[in-house]
Amino acid sequence: MRYRILLVLPLALSALAAVGGEPASGPSADICLVLNNRIFAPRSADRPLPLLKQTAEHTFTPACSVTWAVLNPKGDALPVEGCFRGSLLQLPNDSACGKGTGKLWVGARWVVTSADMADDSKHAAICQRLETGSFAGTRALTTECQPRTRELTGFKVDLPPAKTPATKAPPADPHP
Amino acid sequence: MPRRDGRALTTAPDTPAATRPRARRTGQGLLLESLLLAAVALFFLNFNPLGAMSVGHRYSQDLVYAWFGESNWLYPRLDPDTKTATAAHPRVVVMIVNDAALDLRGARWPVPIDFHAELLAELEVLKPRAVMLDFFLIDQAAPAATCAFLTAAAHLRAQRIIPYVAVTEPTELTGVDAGDCRSESGEPLVAARVLTPVSVRLQSDGTDYVNRRYGFEQRATGVAAGAGLPSAAVRMYCDFVADGPACLARLTRDRPPDAGFELAWSPAGDPFNQRWSEARCDEVPSVTQAILFKKPLPKETLCPPVPTLFASALLSPAEDASFGQHNEQLLDLVDGAFVFIGGNFKAGGDLMTTPLHTRLPGVYYHAVALDNLLAFHGSPKVRKEYRGHKLEYYLFDLAVLWVLAIIFLRRQAWISRGQPTGGGPFSLSPAARSMIAGLLGHLPTRLWVIAAAIVLVLLAAFPLLQMIAVLLAVAVLIVVEVRLASEGELKGRLRNLALYCAALVLSLVVVAVAIALGYEWLALPPVDWVGYLSFAAFGFFVAHTAILEFARNVDASHGAKDTGEKDA
Repeated sequence: MRYRILLVLPLALSALAAVGGEPASGPSADICLVLNNRIFAPRSADRPLPLLKQTAEHTFTPACSVTWAVLNPKGDALPVEGCFRGSLLQLPNDSACGKGTGKLWVGARWVVTSADMADDSKHAAICQRLETGSFAGTRALTTECQPRTRELTGFKVDLPPAKTPATKAPPADPHP
Repeated sequence: MPRRDGRALTTAPDTPAATRPRARRTGQGLLLESLLLAAVALFFLNFNPLGAMSVGHRYSQDLVYAWFGESNWLYPRLDPDTKTATAAHPRVVVMIVNDAALDLRGARWPVPIDFHAELLAELEVLKPRAVMLDFFLIDQAAPAATCAFLTAAAHLRAQRIIPYVAVTEPTELTGVDAGDCRSESGEPLVAARVLTPVSVRLQSDGTDYVNRRYGFEQRATGVAAGAGLPSAAVRMYCDFVADGPACLARLTRDRPPDAGFELAWSPAGDPFNQRWSEARCDEVPSVTQAILFKKPLPKETLCPPVPTLFASALLSPAEDASFGQHNEQLLDLVDGAFVFIGGNFKAGGDLMTTPLHTRLPGVYYHAVALDNLLAFHGSPKVRKEYRGHKLEYYLFDLAVLWVLAIIFLRRQAWISRGQPTGGGPFSLSPAARSMIAGLLGHLPTRLWVIAAAIVLVLLAAFPLLQMIAVLLAVAVLIVVEVRLASEGELKGRLRNLALYCAALVLSLVVVAVAIALGYEWLALPPVDWVGYLSFAAFGFFVAHTAILEFARNVDASHGAKDTGEKDA
């Protein structure tokens, strides 16, 4: 038994070492995994911050652009209340762009967070590649279909099929 | 007998003595002969039965850009350093929207209009000069999302950042209106007022379907020139310069409906793109490599020649953490720049074929076109057929060919001076000819003809053998000539060779001046350069000297008639 453990232990250690050498997680998930993340300052002090609001359909839409001073008059670090795919951070502010916006969101590009301060070593861009292959096929769309209506199309709605005549013509013989 | 009006044509040195008219060599005669030769050359330069010559002309232009596209004299682009952009020559930047960018905001293809709204709002921070959305906004969208987009576009316009949108026809923008959409101040937001529609129609050469030409405007046949929908780059450039309407009128007037300008391309990628590109961005094809390894065009690279920012890098710092703590590099790139936003989706289909025979997303078509307009100060290179008054450009070609023809005729005259056979520096001497004929004469005709045919088939089939055979043949012929020729003959041949080279250099100088004048002054593309060079260097005039024989015969007969009338 002891010999077996001695044999298995180096293998287990090497496997752990291999896992430890990999990045901790995907790049876009990093900022959303940081606990108690806080926003310290804008990245570009002289530029207004574009703020977004979340719609009822859970999409985002521009709300307004304000300076850091308007968003955070006290100048304290702002807690991040929510995070969306490493791209958007939710602020504890629901009034900077007027009423009814809900809590506002800001792009992670425009602010310095504690996550950025902790991970100061990253200075690379993720490799990208242009898609220049041509294919004789159509990219599939998975949108749902809706019945044609005047509101949707702006055109006249299709008329219902004409009433079936009382005397139907006999079907054509497929094999005359 | 020479004509008494002194306009006798020059006696060709290689004309047999029996057929030579007794003409004096006069300056005027030389001018007339060379004019005739140049006119014939001009005709053949533009003789294009079934469009067969077009492919060669276009390809030669592609080669010019492939080899010299990085040179400032050919394509005066901005220095790659992002800080060199000026108010007079702003940077052109492409922003690519792909699946990764959509995913960052929970969207998916086709790009929803609220994603465009978000992107415009984010771009506003970077203060670009103008934003062009290379997307057709034809998909159904909720009125609120459309209104958010119009609001974001209106914000841009309020900041004097013009938002341009691609349309297939001018009236298409009405589909982008969102009912009762109003700005914060209560003013109605109408798409036609907020957005500037532009044409994004691709033009391709019919001979090879390469998109090396960029249309001035999109208009149907029968619509007056200048009344169509301006193409994106043309409209953006003219909005940028002082007198926009005059600029549009200058670029579009007197042109056929399918007129466009030639796109100069750089074979190297923009250094900015090295941050995300695994392909090298600094590779420039070498002429020597092309000659030796027969790879005349640069190999396909996925590093585009325009600085490219992926939307995902804008939307998430994790995608590109190298813009600096304060986004300095991002601001350097986009602040004051023209930004073209285009899609690049797998199997998306929006691709163009560049003159360097690589494919790129369609948005680069407009970006490179605008860069051309900026680089050439609003006078891009336009082919003669798309000019309003094209005759003057053909007269320019005639003048160039005329000078080349004069040099050619003078060279022929100098070389053949004192030589009864009129042999050039590269022709075989009679002694060498008779020696080779004697050698072959030992063999039966059937045998040497079949052997020659076999050798030529092998040379045709194996390109490597061609070079070896040519070098071998030249070496053998030189040895034969040196052994057979007398000292006087060798001296004469060397003199002829020197004259030939001097005339060649002079012709090349003339061609260089013509190219510079045509490119800079007349804004003609490099499509005719190889034609000029062929007449200057490769002696294509020789093929057309038969017309001179005909002219001399006509001249002699006219002179004889004149004399007869006078005698009578």
